[in-house]
Amino acid sequence: MIINASNLVKSYEDPKDKSKTFNAVDGVSLSISSGEIYGILGPNGAGKTTTLEMLEGLKDIDQGTAFINQIDVNLNPYKVKEIIGVQLQANEFFDSMNLVELLNLFSALYNKKNDPIELLNKVNLADKALAEANELSGGQKQRFSIACALVNEPLVLFLDEPTTGLDPQAKRSLWDLILDLNKSGMTIVITTHNMEEAEYLCHRIAIMDYGKLIAEDSPKNLILKHAPDKVSEVVHGNMEDVFIALTGHGLRD
Amino acid sequence: MFNSPRGYLTKVFIQIFLRNRQYIIFSLLLPVVILGIVGLNDGEVDPVEIGLVDNSNSVLSKNFITKLSDNPLFTIIEGDEEDLKEDLINGDLMMILVIPLDMQASNKTNNIKLLVDKSQIQFIETIKPVLNQTLLSIEREITQEQAMFELTIEDIKSRSQGYLDFLLPGIMAFMLMNLSIAGSGFNVVEFRRRGILKRLFVTPIKPIDFVSAIVVARMIIVLGQLTAIFGFALFILDANIVGSILYLYLVIMLGILMFLTLGFSIGSLAKTQETVGILASIFIYPQLVMSGVFFPLETLPEYIQPVAQVLPLTLVADAMRSIASDGLTLFQVHLDLLGMGIWIIIGTLISTKLFVWKEVAG
Repeated sequence: MIINASNLVKSYEDPKDKSKTFNAVDGVSLSISSGEIYGILGPNGAGKTTTLEMLEGLKDIDQGTAFINQIDVNLNPYKVKEIIGVQLQANEFFDSMNLVELLNLFSALYNKKNDPIELLNKVNLADKALAEANELSGGQKQRFSIACALVNEPLVLFLDEPTTGLDPQAKRSLWDLILDLNKSGMTIVITTHNMEEAEYLCHRIAIMDYGKLIAEDSPKNLILKHAPDKVSEVVHGNMEDVFIALTGHGLRD
Repeated sequence: MFNSPRGYLTKVFIQIFLRNRQYIIFSLLLPVVILGIVGLNDGEVDPVEIGLVDNSNSVLSKNFITKLSDNPLFTIIEGDEEDLKEDLINGDLMMILVIPLDMQASNKTNNIKLLVDKSQIQFIETIKPVLNQTLLSIEREITQEQAMFELTIEDIKSRSQGYLDFLLPGIMAFMLMNLSIAGSGFNVVEFRRRGILKRLFVTPIKPIDFVSAIVVARMIIVLGQLTAIFGFALFILDANIVGSILYLYLVIMLGILMFLTLGFSIGSLAKTQETVGILASIFIYPQLVMSGVFFPLETLPEYIQPVAQVLPLTLVADAMRSIASDGLTLFQVHLDLLGMGIWIIIGTLISTKLFVWKEVAG
């Protein structure tokens, strides 16, 4: 197991009643093996990003423990940061720096040296080497963001909703990139709203709602378990059915 | 030094700044314009228009008036008191001298009345020493006791270095404040809002490395900007620096550090770019008035003075002026330095207590 988290809790002050707290993440336990693509699904506000950020050492873990490659995230967040790559939901970069310079900067922050063009080749952006990050399209930006996450040759790559807002082509090209990286042995943890994506990419999926993990299995088993009725109604039940069956129809934001 | 993560980040911050040509030009424009206006005027001071009422009409008063008119600093307009008063109210005159009826060259002190418009009080405070000195030198000429006295009096009483030399340390202190505040507070809020801070802290870089990279980069940048202004004043405008330039730069560096930490405090308090603008204005503008940079501190109301004297800008401006214009040593301005040290501690405390590094992206 490359990632081992048990009973993670993150509590915040309740915005409606300051005297109370609520748990954005409420006792989540995860075990992810090396080489896996692990998806975390859930509606907005389910606690996906917070869970990820606790694992990444970006947010304090209020309760519970998390280990990445046997390193305790609570005790050694900086050691953990050295072996993980992170792509955040917001991917803004410094102005007036081109992609090569940004990659050199991120390499330097890990005290490493990289060939920026090689990294850009990996994400199919070599022709944009001298462009600035804000000149890139949405899909290019996400791919560049992944290139930045690769500068330290991470053991685990965290992707937070990488395909949100991308057109189908950009989405497909990102999926190919993720599968390629996984083939090279990288463990990948991905959050998404996109059921097709979860089904296509992930070996295992965890479904989160209200800060709790409410289901965890392979996409196939989840469909069999939670969307059996639909199988008879339509030709195939799919992950979307599973998702709606587990988290309800109401709109969230 | 640029190979460590912190050093590399410092280099990048300087690089980003150097690429922002527009910012460089405009940051230098304001001080250059202010200094330019004062400096180019400094050689041939625009004469101050003074009304004069000669009630005495004696040989002595005529002599006095001739001498005063000969002074290039003043344009003398003679007239009767009522007419001149009207001109004063209309702003055509800066002040009116009234020579008493019984003016005489005896041992008795002649009381020359000075009528002013109180709304011009700041300006009058500034030129009063010049006027005083002129009166004294006229007195010396009339009583024919010039030589030794005049030298002494010019040195102490008048700002023989000119308004530019009075203004230069203050303008540099003011600029130092603006540039440092903009360079820390604004940056942090902007980086946080756009998620750039969070992206940085995904890597193993520590908050202290990030802060010290910004501080070092800004220190270098602001020193460069101030040196440009300084050079402009020294070589183009012929300003005079009496004291040690090394001391001056040490004070400047301490001042930059102070305003950077205070700027980080403002950046930590403010959640949005708009708030940081307002907070920075609240911080900057009262100090502009109360720090003695443009107007002498003595012109402020009595009850504000104790506050004015411990403001960060007052401390830097005073230390810089003491060194630049009066040639004092660092030891002689140790109270200013101590005050700046206290502000640095306050700024560091506020910014580290308020800035939640772990939750940088909110």
